[in-house]
Amino acid sequence: MNRRNFIVSFAIAVAATLFMLWQDGAFAAKPEAATSPSDVGAVQQPTETIAAVTAQIDRVSVDNGGTITVTGTAPVGKSVYLEIWADEKVRASRFDADPDPKTGQRPYILYMTEGMPSYYKVIVPKDKKDAIEAEKKQGGKWSVSKLLKDTGADAIYSAPTTIKIDRYQAALMGSIIGSRGDLLPAMDEKENARRSMQLLKARFRSVGNIMSPDMEVNPDGSFKAVVEVREGLAPGKYTVVAAVDKTTKSRPLTFENKIAFPTVYMSNAGTSINIFWPALLTFAVTTFGVLMGAGGGFILNPLLVSIWPLPHTVVAGTVMPTVLFSQGSGIYNYSKIHFINWKLGATIGCAMLAGGFIGPKLTEMVTLDQYKFVFGWILIILASLMAWQTTPGYLAKNKKEQAILKEFQKRAKECSAQKDQCGGKI
Amino acid sequence: MIVNFWGHEFKVNIILGCIGGFLIAIVSSMFGFGGGPFMTPLMAVGLGLPMYLVVGSSLLAIAFNTVMGSMRHYQFGNFDFTFFLIMFIPAILAGFVAPQIAKRISPLWVKRVAVVGLLILAFQLLGIF
Repeated sequence: MNRRNFIVSFAIAVAATLFMLWQDGAFAAKPEAATSPSDVGAVQQPTETIAAVTAQIDRVSVDNGGTITVTGTAPVGKSVYLEIWADEKVRASRFDADPDPKTGQRPYILYMTEGMPSYYKVIVPKDKKDAIEAEKKQGGKWSVSKLLKDTGADAIYSAPTTIKIDRYQAALMGSIIGSRGDLLPAMDEKENARRSMQLLKARFRSVGNIMSPDMEVNPDGSFKAVVEVREGLAPGKYTVVAAVDKTTKSRPLTFENKIAFPTVYMSNAGTSINIFWPALLTFAVTTFGVLMGAGGGFILNPLLVSIWPLPHTVVAGTVMPTVLFSQGSGIYNYSKIHFINWKLGATIGCAMLAGGFIGPKLTEMVTLDQYKFVFGWILIILASLMAWQTTPGYLAKNKKEQAILKEFQKRAKECSAQKDQCGGKI
Repeated sequence: MIVNFWGHEFKVNIILGCIGGFLIAIVSSMFGFGGGPFMTPLMAVGLGLPMYLVVGSSLLAIAFNTVMGSMRHYQFGNFDFTFFLIMFIPAILAGFVAPQIAKRISPLWVKRVAVVGLLILAFQLLGIF
């Protein structure tokens, strides 16, 4: 009886899921593969190379970060910039819902790329430090385009400009059924470059991650930059180019970032991480979560996005399946002693199925700051729920409930031990 | 809707249950947690059902959400397998260790610690300190 109910409700769930996925076109062609690596590199070989900038790099590899020194010569009196990026690509997305300054309309367009370098940094001359500091003071409102302009780095900004950015026009109805919206035609070069800056911010979050004033330029035109390559970056090839403007630049230099176990690279998150720390954190949080009668995801997620540079979309999308197995075993254990009401669980479950279809769509529409803000309020609600569960009135009621619960569980266990249907009570 | 559980009949306001479940599912799948701590109060307090009916049935309802949410996250490319393994193994271990600890400490104190911890975390996320 119990098994039949399970199979029926499971079949409904699967059918509903497949139907919705089909509606959404999930079985249709996947978006085309990300921009091939050569696309970004191609820009770096300008058609007419003026050999006015030369550059050397002091080492060819670093181990999970390290210091590299780039030296060289450039035309006298010019500001020299270094552009550094990783070959390894990651995804970046930004949902544009800011009102247009001219028309006041909100565009609701989702910009998304699979071709963002997992590391991108511009090293600017030391005298531009003030401009960087000024932008840092803007807090969350800083913008990449203003930063580039104020430091003069817009003259050399090139590697991310050609990444392939897809645009989706989101519609209210589309968002409700959980679709990304209609794919809009590709943007022109200029617009692509502009949007790439916004995606840079969405991906790298802070001013310090994409720019630092470490370039020393001497009056005779020689320059030297000591670049700190931080820990936790993607392994593989990195390209360095010294430039004074879009056409006057050095030939590309490369170095390799090597990582070794127990540090592993998470390709979707675009971050290398020593597996020990997140594993320990997960263990501590989930243990505590089980003690308080929950999974622990609501503590784990905000901690993960706060401690490591992990995108909130990846954190949400990866933490969620980890509880699947514990839920599965819980359901199995309860079902063995006939302790699940399939009708009630599956009915509410179907409503939750619809909610679960919409939710993940919304994750990529919020920024990290919005994610943290809403999460903060969720935790406050949760904390008040928990506080209420420690009040004397609740405890007195709960004690009775727990006693009844235990009694029923005992009976249920006895019944299943005897392989008795218990008079068809279920 | 009337459900029959261990010989007792319960009248359930299924409209409220479904709307509540739907909203909880949106929020929890958006932020990537299970939703249990919200679902249990909804069914116990909102629908007025006894605990012994809620424990198993709410778990079943949540599992629907987790399966769907996980599939959708996977579809949107939000799933990182390496990261998953890093968290999955400790989570399974915790499932064995936690019940051993639970025997020794009072659940009331766990909840009190949780309240303080959650508030600190919440204020940090809201940027208050």
